[in-house]
Amino acid sequence: MANTLLLMEVQMNLSKGLIGHTYVVEDIQLESSIMRRLQMLGLTQGTAVELLNKKRNGALIFKVRGTRFAIGKDVADGILIGGGVDEQ
Amino acid sequence: MNSSNEVINVAFIGNPNCGKTSLFNDYTGAKLKVANWPGVTVEKKEGSYKFRDKEYKLVDLPGIYSLTSYTMEEKLSRQYILEDEVDVIIDVADASSLERNLYLTLQLIELGKPVVLALNMMDIVEERGMEIDIHRLPEMLGIPVIPVSARKKTGLEVLMHAVAHHKNKNSLEKLEHHHDENGNTKHKHNHHYECVMVYSDEIEDMIDVVTERLQVKYPEMDNYRWHAIKMLEMDDEITEKYPIGLADIVSRSYELDIINQKYDFIEEVIQECLVNKDKKAHVTDKIDSLFTNRILGLPIFLAIMALVFFLTFTIGDSLKGIFEIFLKWFSGSTREFLGSVGTNEVLTSLVVDGIIAGVGGILTFLPNIFILFLALAFLEDSGYMSRVAYVMDSIMGKLGLSGRAFIPMMLGFGCSVPAIMASRSLEDPKDRMKTILVTPFMSCSAKLPIYVIFSQMFFPKYALLVTYSMYLIGLFVAVMVALILNTFDKKKNIHSLLIELPEYKAPNARSIAIYVWGKVKDYLTKAGTTIFFASIIIWVILNFGAHGMVTDMSESFGASIGKALSPIFAPAGLNQWKIVVALIAGIAAKEIVVSSMGILYGIGNINSVAGMAGMSAGLAATGFGALNAYSLMVFCLLYIPCAATIATIKRETHSWKWTIFAVCFQLGVAYFVSTLIYQVGRLFM
Repeated sequence: MANTLLLMEVQMNLSKGLIGHTYVVEDIQLESSIMRRLQMLGLTQGTAVELLNKKRNGALIFKVRGTRFAIGKDVADGILIGGGVDEQ
Repeated sequence: MNSSNEVINVAFIGNPNCGKTSLFNDYTGAKLKVANWPGVTVEKKEGSYKFRDKEYKLVDLPGIYSLTSYTMEEKLSRQYILEDEVDVIIDVADASSLERNLYLTLQLIELGKPVVLALNMMDIVEERGMEIDIHRLPEMLGIPVIPVSARKKTGLEVLMHAVAHHKNKNSLEKLEHHHDENGNTKHKHNHHYECVMVYSDEIEDMIDVVTERLQVKYPEMDNYRWHAIKMLEMDDEITEKYPIGLADIVSRSYELDIINQKYDFIEEVIQECLVNKDKKAHVTDKIDSLFTNRILGLPIFLAIMALVFFLTFTIGDSLKGIFEIFLKWFSGSTREFLGSVGTNEVLTSLVVDGIIAGVGGILTFLPNIFILFLALAFLEDSGYMSRVAYVMDSIMGKLGLSGRAFIPMMLGFGCSVPAIMASRSLEDPKDRMKTILVTPFMSCSAKLPIYVIFSQMFFPKYALLVTYSMYLIGLFVAVMVALILNTFDKKKNIHSLLIELPEYKAPNARSIAIYVWGKVKDYLTKAGTTIFFASIIIWVILNFGAHGMVTDMSESFGASIGKALSPIFAPAGLNQWKIVVALIAGIAAKEIVVSSMGILYGIGNINSVAGMAGMSAGLAATGFGALNAYSLMVFCLLYIPCAATIATIKRETHSWKWTIFAVCFQLGVAYFVSTLIYQVGRLFM
């Protein structure tokens, strides 16, 4: 139990997330041009993202502020998320 | 002032996929003028609309997410609004994803020109059980908000009415909203009556200082606040244009703070104005669970493409009959008419054997091209096209390209010109160059007539299969070229995919009709101009020789040129002077390969049973068989793109060197592959 709790608190990148779960963005570590574009699309620190789909090569689909985006693995790796948010 | 002559200049702006173009089309219909923005290959659409004695001049700006200066489209839109005579901005927002759309809205409001917010897709919002407080929203944003539906054409007149009213009024009364106060500020930032978006005290303090400095140095400047905000964001264009020393107060870019605070305000707006969030499960998610499925996604995509080509050939062919009957009648009666009025034989021959055979033959392919563009428009308008980028991302990744690069390649099935222009959506210049190099290998619609003719002549039983194989070879060559380039590419750069997946929607019949009509018009224009003149030139060089008009075509200028070059084509099995002439003529436009074949073999309608029989008999007599025909099709598929494509490559790459390289490279690939096929094929035949 203590172990899982620890895991929940550790940051991980979005590509490690589970399909159907919602996470909170804690940090974005990417090259500035792509980071800016993500931020302008509303992917800022503290926003909730829902992971909708994932492929074996690491590309994934997520939803932020009501809009779906597809991103490649390298972008997904730069988006750091905190533990899952309770879905209600 | 005479109000009946009043012209109001309106700019349409909005996020991609917000239905902006549909709304624009609702006002202008097909009567819109499409040109390019000066200096760049970004489409500029203009139209006009009349309502209650007022004339509205409408301009459709490119779809953008924000008003920074990172992309050509954003810079262009910003400049146009700031400098040109825009009276009112219509900001089109997708009401079903209001949260993201409002970001651009806030940026537009800051620009200082009158803005009217058109809340599009209100019908979808209602279907989903969402409710938007249409009274609170304008209060919070300080601009008029008009619900519209581009699809159902509702709210159109009310929107223009609001534009007319709002033209000279810059603001409604604005409401105060909360912002962090740290108490440690020069004065209370109570700007809420002047501007909608008020930032934190830290930023507002700096805006004050920057504004003061700008006022001193640039007393003529409009909208100090906006320029000050751009200075704090360290916007390249503005800081360069108005250099004022700010190093003492602005130590870093406040762009992220500004973005965050805008989104904080948007959240506040959403909290108050979006009464019911959508309850129903999204249809889009259900469709996506199939279309973007990790196992089924790719097979579904391939099946859709197979269906597209199947429809192109079958429906296209069944419609072709009507054109053929008309053309035969037209050609026959023209000859009769010209004979009856005593026109001399040379002129009759020019009109009937040159122009009608060339241009008319091409027109019979119009149904095929119509169906192909209809299908591509359907895929794009429904929202499926961007899923293709996701589905193809893993395969494209192996080629060193992002999935997004597949969209231009797919558009290449229609026409290379817009496809090469679409490569602009790729940020990395190297990715763009690579995509531009391989896109012409995707078989475009102009090459279709070549396959239809030759596959039906030489492979009557397997015509459809042979034509399919051309598309596959084109795709295969494009993939191989990209793969080889990637292997030699020392500095592997990351190819980041980032694309919005819009909600699926029933395609808008009107938008599709306008798009397809534009393509059909292009095709007809090409038939009437390029192909018309090429047909005349071909007819001339084939009917005149060193000693004037010749009766035997093999003594003509054309024959001499063709005969001189044909030995080079021997390894590919194409050493026929008539074919060499047709191939050279085909550089002007690919359809000309077919139209000049008609002229070369003296066939009125090449795309008919009798016409094909005549030509295959002529070819067979010279030993040109099925293998030669296949080699010819492959050569046509891969060789030098048409003149319009070459011009587009030059315009997009800004480099003659690269353009010439691309042309030579494609010629080399075509020669290599068709020779390979011919030589290997001969071993088995």
